[in-house]
Amino acid sequence: MTTTMLAPPVRRSAGDDIRALPTVLRSEWIKLSSLRSSRAMLGLTTVVGGFTSWAVATLVTDEVMTVSRDATYSTVLTAVFAAVMGVLIFTSEAQHGTLTTSLTARPARWMIALAKALMAAGVGLVLGAVGLGASIAAAKLSGMAPGDSSTLPATVLWSLLFTSLAAVLGLGVGMVARNSSAAISGLLVWWLVVESLLDLFLPVRVSRFRPCLSGNVLLGIESEFATPESIAVAFGRGQAALVFGSYTAAALVAGTVLLYRRDTN
Amino acid sequence: MITVRGLTKHYGKRVAVDDLTFDVAPGRVTGFVGPNGAGKSTTMRMMVGLTRSDRGEVSYRGVTYEDLRTPARIVGAVLDARCMHPGRTARQHLRATAVLSGITTNRVPAVLAEVGLETAADQRAGGFSLGMRQRLALAGALLGEPTVLLLDEPSNGLDPDGIRWLRNHLSGFASQGGTVLVSSHLISELALFADDLVVIGAGKLIAAESVAAITAANETKVVVASPQLAELRLLLEARGLPAEPTDGRLLVRDTSAAVVSQLAFDHGIRLTELTEATRSLEDSLLEMTRASAEFASS
Repeated sequence: MTTTMLAPPVRRSAGDDIRALPTVLRSEWIKLSSLRSSRAMLGLTTVVGGFTSWAVATLVTDEVMTVSRDATYSTVLTAVFAAVMGVLIFTSEAQHGTLTTSLTARPARWMIALAKALMAAGVGLVLGAVGLGASIAAAKLSGMAPGDSSTLPATVLWSLLFTSLAAVLGLGVGMVARNSSAAISGLLVWWLVVESLLDLFLPVRVSRFRPCLSGNVLLGIESEFATPESIAVAFGRGQAALVFGSYTAAALVAGTVLLYRRDTN
Repeated sequence: MITVRGLTKHYGKRVAVDDLTFDVAPGRVTGFVGPNGAGKSTTMRMMVGLTRSDRGEVSYRGVTYEDLRTPARIVGAVLDARCMHPGRTARQHLRATAVLSGITTNRVPAVLAEVGLETAADQRAGGFSLGMRQRLALAGALLGEPTVLLLDEPSNGLDPDGIRWLRNHLSGFASQGGTVLVSSHLISELALFADDLVVIGAGKLIAAESVAAITAANETKVVVASPQLAELRLLLEARGLPAEPTDGRLLVRDTSAAVVSQLAFDHGIRLTELTEATRSLEDSLLEMTRASAEFASS
């Protein structure tokens, strides 16, 4: 390095940002794979998937459970884990200050958001696959009847879509909240409390747009509180995917806008 | 070369940085000083795009930070030594940073060795002392072999050996044509290796001068004691050097010990004390910023 280096630095172009996507993704992978918590979550998903199936096979005696139907129950919990991972992909960076390193390395913040979204989707996909695999294996080992296996591929695909979208939704919520506790507790409160309250007060034509209800539709889980009216207007899996995907997209867009607008300290 | 023009930042009604304009020249170490709350950290964050300015611009040889294709190869910034995940090792942290910045991971062992962390490379950052975190942050800034270094309080937590290493590293970096802007509260430390100073207070520029210019403006005082004090005083005043009696001695301003001792010798006056004192750079800067200090001890 000498004082003769006086040429101005090369300016960034939009093409540079797009070409940088693989390296940004690789960096996100290094960040994710270097933490023990990531491996812990993978292990937890496996254990919960297997345990849930075993518990259903062992304890549910008042109806006939099949492997294809049982696999969806653990996926609800897997989706929660995926959403939590999505939250942590952003909030752990924000809370530990490594977000400043990311944003100084790549001033194109949309690139950071896109890479994190793709990584979150991948995480959701992997968790979904691991959870389903553990669940199906445990169900078979528990002697559960296979049931109509022709529906299993569709169930698996919709479940994986659900867990992927759940992870990206978690990322979006994390980008808005910027705090792990706030984001995770917000998601859980919405799922466990708010949606149930909304179901009491909203007309069925509006209530069918609830995100967690859409998730259940994706998994083929029928609500025990369904009425003939709600069943008549219920969305199919494709429509439910669009509804849930819309919430995911909205959260991600809101998070990206805030990523640009907020100062990073 | 860093060019700062009209940089301004408001937080609500509070003006954190007010129309700041200065240059940071290459080949020199520029100290960035000011009291707590003066706006130093806010300015440095705006210089790397972490905080959006309300007005003004910062450019690196004519290009703003956001427009740099590979910022890490131009600017290495250390703004907060705590910016690392405690669950990641030093090596993993630097690998992730290198890859994100488009820098080969072969640089990781090199920068770890450069900052003296090669033996701690595979330890988790959560177990690092503040000094080790500071060194790791420096390593991250050096990954891209930048031509500009921005450092906010880099010597925090460093032991004396580390401070000396940092001082020598920054001086060497500047001597090879690099641009260095370092903020520090350790003015006495800055005085040892800074060439220029940018002084701010309450978000405003107070001074942007060389250290030599600031210290040259400082007054020199001589304190002298003698059994023939009255006679010495008359001689000094005849020479046009007013002497103030103080505690049984004379305080003579704007002169040197050599002048006073020569005068005494020429007239056979015995001296029992002769002390020359120059106002320190720290005193000069504290006086410059006193009016704008947000928090000051009594």
